[in-house]
Amino acid sequence: MKNGTAANFHAIHITRDKCIGCVHCMAACPTRAIRVENGKARIIDQLCIDCAECLRVCPHDAVHSHTTSFASLEAFDYKVAIPSTVLYGQFGPTVLPNEILSALRRVGFDEVYDLSSICELNCAATEEYLNDHPRPRPYITATCPVVVRIIQRRYPSLCGQILPIEPPREIAAKILRTILPKSLGLPAAKIGIIHITPCPAKMVSINSPATLAKSYLDGAISIRDIFPQILQALSKNEEDALMRHLFPETLFSGTGMGWSLSGGETRGLKSHRAVAVSGLRDTMRVLDEVEGGLLQDIDLLECTVCPDGCVGGPLGVENRFLAKSRVLELVAAAGEHAVVDQKDVSRLYHRNFLSFDHPLEPVESHPLDRDPAKAIRKATRREKIFAGLPLKDCGICGAPDCRTLADDIVRGYARLEACPFVPTKKGPKAGSGKKKKKEKR
Amino acid sequence: MAGAEATYRKEFPVKGGDFAKAGAVACEIKELLKDLGLAVATVRRAAIVAYEAEMNVIMYAREARVDLAVSPDEVRLTFDDRGPGIPDVELALTEGYSTATAEMRELGFGAGMGLPNIKRNADVFAIDSEVGRGTRLDIIIRTNGHVTP
Repeated sequence: MKNGTAANFHAIHITRDKCIGCVHCMAACPTRAIRVENGKARIIDQLCIDCAECLRVCPHDAVHSHTTSFASLEAFDYKVAIPSTVLYGQFGPTVLPNEILSALRRVGFDEVYDLSSICELNCAATEEYLNDHPRPRPYITATCPVVVRIIQRRYPSLCGQILPIEPPREIAAKILRTILPKSLGLPAAKIGIIHITPCPAKMVSINSPATLAKSYLDGAISIRDIFPQILQALSKNEEDALMRHLFPETLFSGTGMGWSLSGGETRGLKSHRAVAVSGLRDTMRVLDEVEGGLLQDIDLLECTVCPDGCVGGPLGVENRFLAKSRVLELVAAAGEHAVVDQKDVSRLYHRNFLSFDHPLEPVESHPLDRDPAKAIRKATRREKIFAGLPLKDCGICGAPDCRTLADDIVRGYARLEACPFVPTKKGPKAGSGKKKKKEKR
Repeated sequence: MAGAEATYRKEFPVKGGDFAKAGAVACEIKELLKDLGLAVATVRRAAIVAYEAEMNVIMYAREARVDLAVSPDEVRLTFDDRGPGIPDVELALTEGYSTATAEMRELGFGAGMGLPNIKRNADVFAIDSEVGRGTRLDIIIRTNGHVTP
């Protein structure tokens, strides 16, 4: 189920048949990674951070995400699901987390594990790490895969400020990888561990992990895809659900349950100052400030690019406000008591069981030219070209804004004639072939 | 000479009291330096210098002109402001010293990092201030030939 090469894997793709070449996605893209060429949108691989802003705005359903299909799990003899706690917020107030987990078993998973306790574990380990490492400040949490990728590409100097503890989904899968083959007597390759998520970028972190040699997860199913099956399983077994109300088998962590909301990751910190930011543009604004040396009096910065946190993920079903309200109820119901033993956390932490395999590294940057003198000349030329553009940011040229067109021109990806407002020396332009693609990125 | 010819220059205005745009010039400078292929560490140092200096203008001065000049060897940043000037430059360069108001601190500014932090991140640091007229900062950050991977 892992498709694409690790280096270039992306979860977000354009369905060309459905794309009509409008400019919604291009305008929404925060890294200016989309161009419209010959009437179709194209995502530039090296600039895409899989944030799914394009998927959210496309009016023609032409942007899709590659997540794991349930059918592809047949390759495994034993199927394990670890759903994001966001899943608990997708149902009405009468459906309890235990019923959702049991419905997932009926859908076809052999075992299902709750992530809230592991979220609590992660929080306790983060606290310990912050105690042990007084500098640098702020550390930034590594839970949101888009934040990790945007830092590698746009804020490379902040790579060392990512707190090097794996997110709960990987820690949970790693624990299960350690214990299940022994307890089941099955080879590890026959056990499929699947995350259920509202987030397309989880597929990217599974296929090309940024801080692990290999992900402990085998795939990610979107909540949207599996939701109808869960509903069906829930409706069929009301009696069973009643029993599970009476004999809850999983102890949910209130601290961990809140992880699906912005601020949830840091809420459990006892002795550190934390700030939570959500939404892509706000995240970028705050990362700009951190790169400029601000926020050094903050210990931990939690960034999630979806609005309100993971609960605002694009592959959820329930609207995020209702989901958020439901999660808050569950947090309150679960209470404040710890379900994870601090001594266990400490032991795993000191064994480096929770750590990154390797530090986060910046990915290759894309200056105007590798030769500094040439880059300087190109930047000057770009400035001149930009000054002659209409600043309408209309997108007709196929670039999201005039600044990007100027940039594409000096990089050799576009020509000035692409702009319908700039008079050309050669007179009226021909209708096609406006853009020369010297080298396709 | 090729080096002298290859200099990128740009000028930015900064308005005092414009907290809504705080950091905008520093961000633009940072993006430019990345496009020019400077090393990550050089860009970070320049970003910190630009951010701190821009904040100083926004917090204390009426207006300023920022001049950026980038050659393959160095990044030169000049902040020339019309403002109150600094009565005691020595003191302002002391770590932890700050005249920021409570409101500024509320916004997370004025931790007394400004000038000392700028100086720490600069290879060449010159300051010229006159009370009642303004302050001029000249900063050079050497690239040491390191370019981005």
